[in-house]
Amino acid sequence: MHPIIRLLNRNLTISLNPGFLVWQVIFPIVYIFVAGFAYTALISSVKFGDISLDYPAFIASGMIGFNIMNSTLVSGIIIWNDRRHGMFEQILVGPFKRSHYILSNVYTIAIVGLISATLITAIGYPLFFKSVHFNLLTIPFLVFASITGSILFGSIASIISTRLKSSEGFNVIINTVFLFFAFVSTAFYPAQGAPQPLATGFYLNPLTYLVDIIRAGIFGTFNEFVMFEMFVLVTVASILFGIAIKLLTKLNL
Amino acid sequence: MSIITRSLFKSYGNLVAVNGIDLDIRGGKVFGFLGPNGAGKSTTIKLLTTLIPPTSGTIQILGLDAIKNPLDVRKRIGVVLQQPSYEPNLSVEKSLEKYGMMWDVDRKTRKDRTDELIDVFELQEIRKKKNEDLSIGQRRRVQVAREFIHDMDLLFLDEPTVGLDPGARRNLLDFLKNKARDGLTIFYTTHVLTEAEYLCDEIAVINKGKILAVDSPEHLKSTFGQEKTIKIHLLDRIEKLPNLLSSIAGCKIDFNAGTDIIIQSSKAEIILSQVLSILIENNIPIEDLSAMPTTLEEIFLKMVKEKNASNN
Ligand SMILES: Nc1ncnc2c1ncn2[C@@H]1O[C@H](COP(=O)(O)OP(=O)(O)O)[C@@H](O)[C@H]1O
Ligand SMILES: [Mg+2]
Repeated sequence: MHPIIRLLNRNLTISLNPGFLVWQVIFPIVYIFVAGFAYTALISSVKFGDISLDYPAFIASGMIGFNIMNSTLVSGIIIWNDRRHGMFEQILVGPFKRSHYILSNVYTIAIVGLISATLITAIGYPLFFKSVHFNLLTIPFLVFASITGSILFGSIASIISTRLKSSEGFNVIINTVFLFFAFVSTAFYPAQGAPQPLATGFYLNPLTYLVDIIRAGIFGTFNEFVMFEMFVLVTVASILFGIAIKLLTKLNL
Repeated sequence: MSIITRSLFKSYGNLVAVNGIDLDIRGGKVFGFLGPNGAGKSTTIKLLTTLIPPTSGTIQILGLDAIKNPLDVRKRIGVVLQQPSYEPNLSVEKSLEKYGMMWDVDRKTRKDRTDELIDVFELQEIRKKKNEDLSIGQRRRVQVAREFIHDMDLLFLDEPTVGLDPGARRNLLDFLKNKARDGLTIFYTTHVLTEAEYLCDEIAVINKGKILAVDSPEHLKSTFGQEKTIKIHLLDRIEKLPNLLSSIAGCKIDFNAGTDIIIQSSKAEIILSQVLSILIENNIPIEDLSAMPTTLEEIFLKMVKEKNASNN
């Protein structure tokens, strides 16, 4: 077996544990159903591009993006844990190159992102099936979003994990960063109607772009602006990915 | 030759951790690397196992240039670093098995070896426990056991017995002895002289990044470990003691606080019997008596002194 496949096997074994499933499946379900229906009374419908969605459909589709982001966090923690528990060094004195290790983490993040997106799409489907506008772009958009999104957020988690020394620091920073991404985005509520500074903040946030693209795929609201968002997402993901690789390659032992 | 290095240097800024080391280590032997904390043992292991690049010098491992072909070297060696390494959320059993998978050991072989190693390293009681729930010593045992899941031609162990209780320590040393008898070459670092003596065919003594001596344990001991220290602690302070013992020649007796007699000599046992007979004759009660083996520190001091003397 190729060394990258062996490392990937190992990464998936250590990440796909019960804690991961609770975080990735139970929490989003509870959130979609509880918040989705609780707020329906307050938010009857959300204008999204030219169409109008009911709130449960809006939040279920936003949750796909949120879940992609969170899943990369889980796999980004692999690098952090490997450093903390000595597995990083152990792997590097084993039958692997540093590039094998880095690539196996990239694949892990992409796979976990895809799994997460699929899970939430399946779970959320009953909520948004009325509004779904299946077309040729739906599946490619979801795959594009999962992979670009997971590489982008996975790079952020990796960058943080290479920069920090203390373990409390990692959790505090990663949670703060991801909390900011989650709530200053259109994942849970629309930009329209939000105060101007907040609405501007939404568009400084890659998660907003990610959920816009996912929604465009699901609800068929593709337009020029979404194309621009895809371009931005790929660019930002590439830059962050480059930085993450560079830091990992230079990581001192 | 399993390991050959020439003028190996590693510096961290101004600090020279490894200061010009030449090694020629034959296969099928246990080679001990003995030195106090901070001597440069771990840095040397990291250099030899290709984890870090040297500042200058050459390294040949199993006939391969370790600087040009690090991956080919790593495929043929086993490494237990000083730093703990473990998969926190896997069970002991599962982590051994996964480690075998990482080394591309086939499923059946790694299952069999996992069972065997759990037996040999006495891990039966903790085989289902998660690594994060183990004590430091248990974790260390798992870490060492894990390395034997794959085949190798050369094994590096960096202070593997630290944190082990005496039973587990002896068990590990005997296991390593057997492996060496079967032809495995072992590079073993320690700061414990008795351990190196028990296990190694050859010992290099290292201090401040430099090798002070390379020799067989017997030879090292006869050169540097002859002198023993025996300490007698008396119940009361005896004023006439210096006078009583003044007739014993060829040894050093210190009257520390007036209640301690310290004998330091290569013939310490003989002198001890003379001292004891005098104490008994004079009815002087002894509270405590202890013999101290020559410590590494003493060996280093002597070696450094001799080096300096020969340089002058
Ligand atoms: N990564 C590093 N950066 C700076 N100094 C280091 C580093 N690693 C080791 N050293 C220094 O090099 C010297 C040798 O260390 P080490 O090889 O760990 O000794 P030993 O294993 O014999 O106790 C020590 O003074 C140590 O502080
Ligand atoms: Mg050390």
